[in-house]
Amino acid sequence: MTTATATDKPAPAFRFNKIGTGSLQLDLGLLLFAIVVIALLAQWVVLDESALDGNLRTRLKPMGYISPDGVRHIFGTDQLGRDLLFRVLGGLPWSLGISGVAVVCVAVIGTFIGLIGAWYTGVVRTIVLLGIAAMIAMPFLVLALVVVAVVGRGFWPLSLTMGFIAWTAVSRVIYAESRGLLTREYVLAARLFGVSKWSILIFHVLPGLRPTILVMAAFFFAVLLIIESALSFLGLGAPLNAPSWGNMLSDSRQYLTIAPWMMFAPAGAIVLAVISLNLIGDGFAELSRKRARAVEV
Amino acid sequence: MTDIADNNKPASQPIETEKNDAETIPVAKQTAQTLTKRILELLFLLMFISTLLFFLLRLTGDPAAVLAGETGDQEQLELIRKQYGLDKPLIVQYGVFLYKLVQLDFGSSLANAQDALGLVFERLPTSFTLVIIAFTANLIISIPLGAWLGSRPDRTGRKLAATAVFVAQGIPGYITGLLLIQLFSVELGWLPSIGNQGILSWIMPATTLAAFQAPQVVRVISANVAEAMREDYIRTARANGAGFNTLLWRHALKNAMLGATALIGAQVSFLVGGSIITEVIFAWPGLGRLLVTSVQTLDFPVVQAAVFMIAIFVYFAITLTDIVFLFIDPRLRRQRA
Repeated sequence: MTTATATDKPAPAFRFNKIGTGSLQLDLGLLLFAIVVIALLAQWVVLDESALDGNLRTRLKPMGYISPDGVRHIFGTDQLGRDLLFRVLGGLPWSLGISGVAVVCVAVIGTFIGLIGAWYTGVVRTIVLLGIAAMIAMPFLVLALVVVAVVGRGFWPLSLTMGFIAWTAVSRVIYAESRGLLTREYVLAARLFGVSKWSILIFHVLPGLRPTILVMAAFFFAVLLIIESALSFLGLGAPLNAPSWGNMLSDSRQYLTIAPWMMFAPAGAIVLAVISLNLIGDGFAELSRKRARAVEV
Repeated sequence: MTDIADNNKPASQPIETEKNDAETIPVAKQTAQTLTKRILELLFLLMFISTLLFFLLRLTGDPAAVLAGETGDQEQLELIRKQYGLDKPLIVQYGVFLYKLVQLDFGSSLANAQDALGLVFERLPTSFTLVIIAFTANLIISIPLGAWLGSRPDRTGRKLAATAVFVAQGIPGYITGLLLIQLFSVELGWLPSIGNQGILSWIMPATTLAAFQAPQVVRVISANVAEAMREDYIRTARANGAGFNTLLWRHALKNAMLGATALIGAQVSFLVGGSIITEVIFAWPGLGRLLVTSVQTLDFPVVQAAVFMIAIFVYFAITLTDIVFLFIDPRLRRQRA
């Protein structure tokens, strides 16, 4: 009964995704729904495609402002007269893209190093564990800040830097779980049959790790999105003119006293995305717990 | 069904506890072990960071050009190369670099020629105070809230509160900070929004920083409390006639808090990261802001000194919590099979 299934790890008993969700499909739906609604609203609201260019005559206009040309700016305009709703949508590929690439790196590197640590014993494992324990304590933002300052701004430098720094927490979890999986009979059987190390790790251990990787990827997506926005907010993230959400927040900070509405669109987008991703993570966790329970009974 | 699941938790089996008590390791020995482990990790980390910084600076091309800034002409470049020993082979440079680091000699700031480490130490107390205040505020709010949520998670009021906590968890600290400034400084004019100008100016930065992590702590505490409330020893206490409040605050919460050890360690690192953004938002004269400005101006000696001090501070805090909990929680002293 108490065999270490992939999902037996101490997950919080108190889950909070019962606000009309409770299952993965619904959580996913929530995210998609939010994105689609925003996109549709944009189609409906913005009549003129050149609204993204901005118009200095309509700079810093409040929410719901209708320009003389009859364009309605539902979230207002920024300091260059650009429509904020359009800009947030334009920032979608930047903010979600950067953190998306980073989360793929995190999952791949974290899994790889976790598996290495679990398979080998002796010096290799000691070094892996020492490295993880040391790196995990270092505030992630500090390292990212320093590295990005040197390698420069932009989509790829930013996403790869984050990806190459943030994997430690993932690899610690993967390490612990793979050690459990490696003691299973089917792994022993495969070893006795002379299956090679990488075959065992990839075809026998990795599938068992899938639920964990999915849950961690969802939560890390949210964390990396926050970090990306934070770096952009500090002026060390996406290129200055890119409509990344952090950049927009950073702009809005300069006009806080005269144009407070400028922060609502990017802040709303970040919060919505993070909450959706947390919900998805909780949904995955819940599903895999249910499945594990079903197997046990 | 839930009962079966609960009995499977290996940590709470009473029979094992008795057996394991015999194998308890002396606290002193375990403290020494923890210290050694942490110091090793810290050394590893410092080594890693310094190597990373060293090679990053050289990977980007001519470090002399970076150090001289955009205004440097050829003569200045030569001077800087001599001064920093950049004309020597790479491996010699690395050796010299490490030798200086061991002596905590980071060089002087490129911006104003002050001693880099001195600059960092000048800023450290303000940041430290901010982090401590936020940490304390966070615990004062999160622990009772978490216990309250976890004690009866099925009630409607708690469910609503838990939803609010879940949403709050999705709000990054910089957004909280901007909203607070907007509300209390711009609209109401109650609190100063920038700098360290007396006790009032501490409120918003500390709140922002606490808000970074409070929802997470609340969720973990409430999860632990909810779990603890289903344990056998709670049932025993209830059968002995203990009231609900005694059960919750004396028995369940104590256990739940101890279970959150790992979290507190991780929170320190998280807090330090959060304090950087908080300090920038509120123009707070602390270490985080120093780090950001020196990163922006590529003032490498100061960056190095700041990163080193942050690493040492975090490790100090983690080790301290480790050892404190070793004394408080007898379960941690048990020999692992």
